[in-house]
Amino acid sequence: MEYKVEAHRIMSISLGKIYNSRIQRGGIKLHKNLLVSLVLRSARQVYLSDYYSGACLNAQSEREGNEWDIMDSEREKFPPSATECDRAESPEEPQQSKQPEASDKEREYRENDDEVKSDQADCTSTLQQEQNPNPSLDSVGNVSPPETINEPKESPSDSSVAERQSTPVANGESHQAPKTHVCSNRKRSAEESESGDSPQKRTKVASSNSKEDEEGEEMDTSNVSNLITIFGSSFSGLLSKDSAKPEAEAEDSGQICCDQMLKNLNPWSTAIVAF
Amino acid sequence: MEEESDSRKINNSFLRDHNYATEADIISTVEFNSTGELLATGDKGGRVVVFQREQESKNQPHRRGEYNVYSTFQSHEPEFDYLKSLEIEEKINKIRWLPQQNAAYFLLSTNDKTVKLWKISERDKRPEGYNLKDEDGRIRDPATITTLRVPVLRPMDLMVEAAPRRVFSNAHTYHINSISVNSDYETFMSTDDLRINLWNLEITNRSFNIVDIKPTNMEELTEVITAAEFHPHHCNTFVYSSSKGSIRLCDMRAAALCDNHSKFFEEPEDPSNRSFFSEIISSISDVKFSHSGRYLMTRDYLTVKVWDLNMESKPLETYQVHDYLRSKLCSLYENDCIFDKFECVWNGSDSVIMTGSYNNFFRMFDRNTKRDVTLEASRENSKPRAILKPRKVCVGGKRRKDEISVDSLDFSKKILHTAWHPSENIIAVAATNNLYIFQDKVN
Repeated sequence: MEYKVEAHRIMSISLGKIYNSRIQRGGIKLHKNLLVSLVLRSARQVYLSDYYSGACLNAQSEREGNEWDIMDSEREKFPPSATECDRAESPEEPQQSKQPEASDKEREYRENDDEVKSDQADCTSTLQQEQNPNPSLDSVGNVSPPETINEPKESPSDSSVAERQSTPVANGESHQAPKTHVCSNRKRSAEESESGDSPQKRTKVASSNSKEDEEGEEMDTSNVSNLITIFGSSFSGLLSKDSAKPEAEAEDSGQICCDQMLKNLNPWSTAIVAF
Repeated sequence: MEEESDSRKINNSFLRDHNYATEADIISTVEFNSTGELLATGDKGGRVVVFQREQESKNQPHRRGEYNVYSTFQSHEPEFDYLKSLEIEEKINKIRWLPQQNAAYFLLSTNDKTVKLWKISERDKRPEGYNLKDEDGRIRDPATITTLRVPVLRPMDLMVEAAPRRVFSNAHTYHINSISVNSDYETFMSTDDLRINLWNLEITNRSFNIVDIKPTNMEELTEVITAAEFHPHHCNTFVYSSSKGSIRLCDMRAAALCDNHSKFFEEPEDPSNRSFFSEIISSISDVKFSHSGRYLMTRDYLTVKVWDLNMESKPLETYQVHDYLRSKLCSLYENDCIFDKFECVWNGSDSVIMTGSYNNFFRMFDRNTKRDVTLEASRENSKPRAILKPRKVCVGGKRRKDEISVDSLDFSKKILHTAWHPSENIIAVAATNNLYIFQDKVN
């Protein structure tokens, strides 16, 4: 468990560095940000593999079992509990193919120009991210599978998860605007969500996190809000909704949303965002 | 190795009695010229200070050629990129001297985006006796001119002037980290994070891109170029190092774009040392050819490695600079010290290599005797002309007297830049905003 705390701390520090690099004199240093994103990714891998190892729901894992027949070959590559827990986290919500949102998001990051078109898409994608904790990495995997295969250092497990999952659930239903307010709650330290979407998940997350992460809470939530600033207007929809709602149970939800954010974070995007 | 310390402390800050130093005075590069007569330093404020070795005099035989300030000029100014809304720092990243071909001295200095060629020349005569203007320079009334005379050159106090002769700009999207003059003395290369450009020293409006590792999709970026250098004798060969710990040797005769390397030097990572920070500490911060051209030296965060150009699979020699930091990587990551880019240098005969560390320590490794020494560059611990005492860092357990424990190391005092005279045992060590020059003791 200490690994998890350490990994979490390193992730927070890395996020802080990425944020601070934006206001540094002389512009963003590509080399340093690349290194920080590598550390962030390593820490995240440790954090996630550790995180899911103890937080599965057996019932849900059974139900989702057949969906994961394809995954069997991939299971050797990473802890089996991780995948099951991925699916366990989102029992009800089918995964929509993230390809369009992902490519929108990446296009935005790469070109760093018109962010308006991604607003709606990002809202949707972040929504799905909350139920499906590894979407951003998935989406990268989806868009450029050959590259991810060639680079063993990038999380092969996550990418292969992505490739597999998009196929069977390509025709899943999509959740659009009605759920936007849910994803806004996820991203901010603001309020305990009214969403009844996945109360089990939230409770589960809270219980496993609350005890050891409280001291890092302050930095996490500030990092989360900083991250939102980094992503700019792609989160503008979320921000406007947030300001209207009062803060409640900041600790738990803050921690949860930070965790969600940290899981969702594609390290490449943040580091490369200005380029 | 005993050294006589002849400390030249150049401190431009008015707060010299305090530990605080103005950031603009932090020395960012140090370089001897090819004869060792001149020593140039660049700082964060964009200034270049050139020192010249005074001629040895028989009157004071113990003062063997000390270095005095020869010229100071502002090389780069802060700029603003309007398109990206980014400020371009004026910090001098690298200085490289050109070989001397006439009475003037030429050097290349670069900041993040622009390389400039500076000419440093002396003037010790001035013309006197103009007809149309008087000694102050005021124009004379033509009506008052009754005779004509020929101006003559009269001696004057020595004046050293620095003038920018070429400005090589607008060729780099990313930050320039190194420049290297080719042995043909006609071309040089400038290297940024993803590209290397080749320039002709005479032509400023055109450069050729010889290495480009930018991926089409920036999200796939995994490594950047950290340093590059031309081979000292073969004008077609150069090397560049990467953030992944590999070095590529390229031959410009093979293709116009040298994306395909001729040789690839990489040591496989030791899996037992794996940590979150393995990638950071394997990133190479400096690469230097030996004077002979036979060997290559690379510096990563914890080690210096000497490679034989004929052996790509592993380095010839590996020297631990400060392995006691391996257990402290997490704290060094937090305080950003893990990103420090240390440089390394060869001595003139390629028998000794030197690099810097923290607490104003610097290390020398003798490749032949396999002995190494840790020395300190600080005012308190070395008086002028005193012999430098070797220092030792105690890792754990009982600390002996005169040893310093790892936890009391001052990580804000780092020696990133050092230089070694091309033929003699004179070294220049930059400690934050102070420059120390040490000479070998004779007789």
